[in-house]
Amino acid sequence: MGKLMQLPRWVKVGAVLILISGILVGYIGWDRFLRIYPAQTFDDPKERFKYGSIGAEQDAGIPYWIFYALPRVFPDMLPGPGGYAAFGVAWEHGQELPIGFSKQRIGFDRVANNCAVCHTASYRVQHHANPVLVPTGPNHTLDLEAFFRFLVDCAKDPRFNADTLMAEIDLAADLDWIDRLAYRYLIIPITRKRLLEREDQFQWIYRHDFPEWGRGRDDAMNLTKYFMIRWPMDDSFGPTDMPSIWNLKKYRPELGHRMNFAGDSHNPYSVIIDSALGLMGAEPKDKDDFLGHIDWLVEYLSAKPAPAYPFEIDSAKAGEGEQLFADHCARCHASDRTGTVVALAEIGTDRERMDTWNEKAAAEANEVVDEMGIERKGLVEEPLSGYVAQFLDGIWLRAPYLHNGSVPTLYDLLLPVAQRPVQFYRGYNVYDPLKVGYISQGKEAEHAGTLHDTRARANSAQGHEFGGGLSEQQRWALLEYMKTL
Amino acid sequence: MTTDPHPAHKSRWCRIAAVITLMIVVLVALSLAHRFLRDRPVEYDDPVEHFKYGSTGGERNLGFPYWIWRVLPEVCAEHLPGGGFESVGMIYEPGKDLPVGMSKRRHMGIDRVFLNCAVCHTSTVRTAIDAEPFLVAGMGANTLDLMAFQKFMHRCVADRHFTPNQIIPRIQAAGAELDLIDRRIVYPLAVHLMRDGVAGLLGRLRFIHTQPDWGPGRVDTFNSAKALFNYPIEDLRSDELLGTADFPTIWNQAKKQGMQLHWDGNNDRVEERNLNASFGTGATPRLIDHSAIARIQAWNATATPPAFNAHFPIEPDLAAQGKVVYEHYCADCHGKNGSDFSGRYVGQVVPLGEIGTDPYRLRSFTPQLALNLGTPYAGTEYRFRSFRKTFGYANAPMDGVWLRAPYLHNGSVPTLWDLLQPSVIRPKTFWRGNDRYDQVQLGFVDDVAEENGRAFFLYDTSVPGNSNQGHEGERYGTQLTYDQKWALIEYLKTF
Repeated sequence: MGKLMQLPRWVKVGAVLILISGILVGYIGWDRFLRIYPAQTFDDPKERFKYGSIGAEQDAGIPYWIFYALPRVFPDMLPGPGGYAAFGVAWEHGQELPIGFSKQRIGFDRVANNCAVCHTASYRVQHHANPVLVPTGPNHTLDLEAFFRFLVDCAKDPRFNADTLMAEIDLAADLDWIDRLAYRYLIIPITRKRLLEREDQFQWIYRHDFPEWGRGRDDAMNLTKYFMIRWPMDDSFGPTDMPSIWNLKKYRPELGHRMNFAGDSHNPYSVIIDSALGLMGAEPKDKDDFLGHIDWLVEYLSAKPAPAYPFEIDSAKAGEGEQLFADHCARCHASDRTGTVVALAEIGTDRERMDTWNEKAAAEANEVVDEMGIERKGLVEEPLSGYVAQFLDGIWLRAPYLHNGSVPTLYDLLLPVAQRPVQFYRGYNVYDPLKVGYISQGKEAEHAGTLHDTRARANSAQGHEFGGGLSEQQRWALLEYMKTL
Repeated sequence: MTTDPHPAHKSRWCRIAAVITLMIVVLVALSLAHRFLRDRPVEYDDPVEHFKYGSTGGERNLGFPYWIWRVLPEVCAEHLPGGGFESVGMIYEPGKDLPVGMSKRRHMGIDRVFLNCAVCHTSTVRTAIDAEPFLVAGMGANTLDLMAFQKFMHRCVADRHFTPNQIIPRIQAAGAELDLIDRRIVYPLAVHLMRDGVAGLLGRLRFIHTQPDWGPGRVDTFNSAKALFNYPIEDLRSDELLGTADFPTIWNQAKKQGMQLHWDGNNDRVEERNLNASFGTGATPRLIDHSAIARIQAWNATATPPAFNAHFPIEPDLAAQGKVVYEHYCADCHGKNGSDFSGRYVGQVVPLGEIGTDPYRLRSFTPQLALNLGTPYAGTEYRFRSFRKTFGYANAPMDGVWLRAPYLHNGSVPTLWDLLQPSVIRPKTFWRGNDRYDQVQLGFVDDVAEENGRAFFLYDTSVPGNSNQGHEGERYGTQLTYDQKWALIEYLKTF
């Protein structure tokens, strides 16, 4: 102590100054990089579902201004003109972010996704009309594969550098000098590195011998396999239609109901956790907060009803159809069998989706989630044997049909396989009340959509050939009834 | 002892030298800072002068060095249709060295100039062939050929004459006193930066090269907006790549708040519409001078058009007859009169199938663009929230309707008299850009190709985007009797 007092005055003053500036730098660093600001909260549950953060900004978040600048700097990497709208995101007029994109400030503003990005449907009553957006419906316009590739491809591009991005950001943002320096020297390079790290795990979406997922589909179990349990790439490929996630209370595990198309998960709670973990990109930092979001989602999605058919229904014809439904469809779609797995041999649909997953992967994934200290019934640790007989609530808004979205309309699904369209366009959202589904042919469908070729791998429209024996008149009656579901 | 007889003396000199050096360094730094860090616009107290010549903040973005701008018509004379910027329809008031619609700011050690709102929203009017033109702030810039101006700038910066060696001597000859730093560093650099900036901006606006000539008084607003988002123009569908529309008037904005604004009614907030238009003046969210914009908004909230009868007579009895016709046919959609805009359908969109006017402008505003227009000014209270995709054209109030010629959103009908005729007998071609007023048919003289040494633009209604169809039929007044039409026109002079 005595010695310390003897130090020259300038040393003491210097030490104090260094200490103060150290504290200052530390504070600024914490404030601008780590400080967690509360995410925006929503009183309206529908708004919360659309825009509320589930906490994914922490690890999967993209810095807001980079997210803003990317489509402006790399328009050539987009699937078409229109910024993020080109990916077919559901986007409301006057909103700065599309539905399913949330924003939170953790040091700096970051953008991440929530469930609504894949689970908001849109339809238009005619070409010259604005779309009606239906949260919890399947986003059949979203080109998720293109979005994944866009982020990686941008990061790989030599233009992803501080000079180029800052020039674009400067056109839009009024950042203070600390943020400017942070973006230039830390946030941009780190983001680039983080995006590039994904490339290895995304290898299979760059394979030219696989067809495109196309709008409204994702290869969900391969995503789980390569990102959650980090398995090496195998040769499997099985994109499926984005499912609707309304009315989840219909799934009752105690009756043997299974979830996901191939029945690979036990219950809504497990499915929501696993899907959310996919969005988080890492173990949740704040587990209580995370599980709070999950509990809310389970409650919201269980109670959310399927939307009613918005066009006219011919009730007499629907009445005829009701009997036909009872005779031909109810055995699987309105019975004890509904929600349970039907053997592949019986259903006969494309098997590739089943082959993307197995009991060993399920066990490993369950272990990963267990290790996070999250308790859930989880994925089914048994060999997969077929596909789940679907509940048909809101079936009118779930086109295209079958697990792989290979049949554009319900009418086509009632036809024998040989008469179903061989090629059609997915992702054009003008509704076709005649055939029940979306318009999938013609100039506008071709412009807005992506080509689905049923001859390509995992795309087959085979199976579920139960309407072959119906007369044409019976088909129309049945179709009319299904509008009421 | 012998080596250093006066150590104290020497160290004192050293100290003095050090202090002097330090002072010189500080002085040089201060003078450089004063020279290069100053950032001040030329300001005007009068609101109309501010509108005409005041800064929106945009010069800091793409501002042309004042002296380069001054000599540009000489440097690139071969790329201008005539002499000076007057030849693309810019207006110079007597005694001014900059055209109406250009502001000036000291920035980066030079004066920089760029366009402001008035360049597209001010025009001249003459009451007779030999009359002095008078300036009307707030009306569409009928004489300005903005496309020709853009193409001129594009060609000029790419021209072999656009080099420091060609430009700097002309600047000196024009009367600028350039010192060594200006000649050797500032202006050579300015030439290169200007080339880079103009090429970058006009590169984004390259869609204009795919379009028919706009001619004077028109602009493609929303394909320009696509440039803001850096859309890949080459991938756009041809039916959205054209959206040429008439410059609108901007009076009485306060009364228009809440109406569906823009030709297709895609936004109902005046302040968003104004900020969106300000992008055209180079004013990006980081650079915009909100207080300067607020002054313009305060002015045009209540600014009114000049009265017709201040320049031409109105026949009161005939106008009174016309009032009856107007109230029966027009008032529901276009407002009670020229200052009372109440009416059941005023400021609302009429579906395209009903109004029947040219569809290009409507199609150019795509659903995707409407969505992207939720992002400008992100992170601020000014963020756009009100852009909507619509499917028709909006019913506009009619204040100053006599100065809104040519008519319809694409400026395809030269006079009000022609607008009251069915489209088959509206003029198929006519000359645009004359500022001489035709007080009989209400519009600008459209049948002369050239006047007082100025050549006009032949507007062809058969060109894509230029159709003069629509707004016709029983309810649009094209089936009124001859006398009723003249009465209606007389009444419209009071607006």
